[in-house]
Amino acid sequence: MGKSEVKGTVTSLSSMFPAEETQKAAKMVEEKLSEKQNEMNQLKEFIADNTSLINLVQKLPDELHHDIMVPFGKAAFFPGLLIHTNEFLVLLGESYYTERTAKQTVEILKRRGKSLESKVDALKAVMQDLKAEASFFDSTASEAAEGLVEIREYEEDNSTKWASQSGSLELETPSVAEADNKMGASEDDDYARIMSRLEELEKEELAAEDNEENLEDEDEDANAVESDSNEDELTKAAEGDGDEDELTKPAFHRKKDEGYSYLDHGQRYSESQSRKQLQQFNDKEPIEEMSNKYKHQDLTNQFASTGLTEEPVTKGEISHGRIIQEDTKTLSPSINASAPFEKKSVQTSKSEFDSSKAFTGSIVEHTQNLDKSSVGTNTTSLQSSGSQPSKPVSRFKMQRK
Amino acid sequence: MDSLRHEKIQKFEEFVDRRLKPDLVHAIAERDKIFDQQKIFSDLRKNIENLEKNSVTSLRTLVNLGSEVYMQAEVPDTQHIFVDVGLGFHVEFTWSEALKFISLREEKLERQIEEYTRLIASIKAQIKLVCEGIRELLQIPEEKTVEGRVF
Repeated sequence: MGKSEVKGTVTSLSSMFPAEETQKAAKMVEEKLSEKQNEMNQLKEFIADNTSLINLVQKLPDELHHDIMVPFGKAAFFPGLLIHTNEFLVLLGESYYTERTAKQTVEILKRRGKSLESKVDALKAVMQDLKAEASFFDSTASEAAEGLVEIREYEEDNSTKWASQSGSLELETPSVAEADNKMGASEDDDYARIMSRLEELEKEELAAEDNEENLEDEDEDANAVESDSNEDELTKAAEGDGDEDELTKPAFHRKKDEGYSYLDHGQRYSESQSRKQLQQFNDKEPIEEMSNKYKHQDLTNQFASTGLTEEPVTKGEISHGRIIQEDTKTLSPSINASAPFEKKSVQTSKSEFDSSKAFTGSIVEHTQNLDKSSVGTNTTSLQSSGSQPSKPVSRFKMQRK
Repeated sequence: MDSLRHEKIQKFEEFVDRRLKPDLVHAIAERDKIFDQQKIFSDLRKNIENLEKNSVTSLRTLVNLGSEVYMQAEVPDTQHIFVDVGLGFHVEFTWSEALKFISLREEKLERQIEEYTRLIASIKAQIKLVCEGIRELLQIPEEKTVEGRVF
């Protein structure tokens, strides 16, 4: 793991999430919660009224006439009788009435009760979400008050890119970062180590490939972007071990772009496309097809959008082999699910979001693919790091354990 | 000195916002309630006059059982009507007695409305007074503190 330089930033949580704002957010959520509570009470009242009415309607036909006081306006009564005790006039809405018997009226009322109850359930779900939000905000506020600090370390190469991305990512997914910070730091360390290892491998491959073919980097970039996006997540969570190397190479740039919506749309689009293809292919292992596709699509897009050196897809296989390793951690499951070539923002946002999810899932899935693909595809570029593909695999296996 | 004045001005403003304005809102709400009652009784009076005019003896109505489910009801004899006289009591009246009662009730309600209107007007005047005082304080700071404002 030849880290060139390690830069780091220390950001206190309170600067990212000022205590006041989190408190305000918490208050707003509480207000919404109370509103929903009021609605819930109202709905429950309706349900109670409904059930009592059902009972009444069932009892009335027992007698021919009932002595009642008939209201006359709001302030006067007439003594009178209830007649036609089996005939009910029910309002269906929009000034439409219907005359029904007692049984039929009971059925109508029961159906109304069911719809009310389903509304109550939906409202309960919403309230639960609000409660979770509120608890999160509270914990954030308390942490910010305590002066929790988020530490980030970068490797020099990717530091610029990663820094911006991670910074933007931070803004976008504070919850992820925070959750990660709180949660498995040890897990993050492992992942960070793996990611740094992968990045190093990528660099070496790119360096080797640059000498041979420039187009290869496209695929790598696509894959790398995916992995990088995941890496970003990892590093963010794990307080980056520095594997967020700046993707000086176009591949890395694109990788980052894919992962983060703040960057070039063109890059993202192409990368997302390539990523989709990659992931789909990862599952199927038609690497050559992918490379061809990259040629046609990514090349033009990427060249036009990024202007970076993009390697031909012909040797995408090679890159695939390596990229796949990274892909394991990338957004493969989520990206595969996303509609191909849909909106970029959707893609990117999905990828960003998914990266946090796929972070845990993809690793397990792709290790097997990695084995097959790495064996099949690693040729030239991987010669120098022929053993490396296997290492990430093994690491994944270890991780699984 | 200026800071003291500013403090006082702030206190006056707070007083207005926290005491006087809610009072105003309450008074207006109460007056609206009485308006509603007045309307109810005037409707009742019109109905009774209608019944009398058409010499209606029996009546068929639809009674709301709740949640807009209606049932037919028959009133065989409309001569006696029970009117709500307040405090949960209903008195049995004939038509003419009911009409007399309703007119008396309407007078009482009108008097209540007048009272509330006067109260609302006084509260509004007080609010204006305080605002004027604040303005004076701000424009003519050399003037001695006007702590003598009594509400």
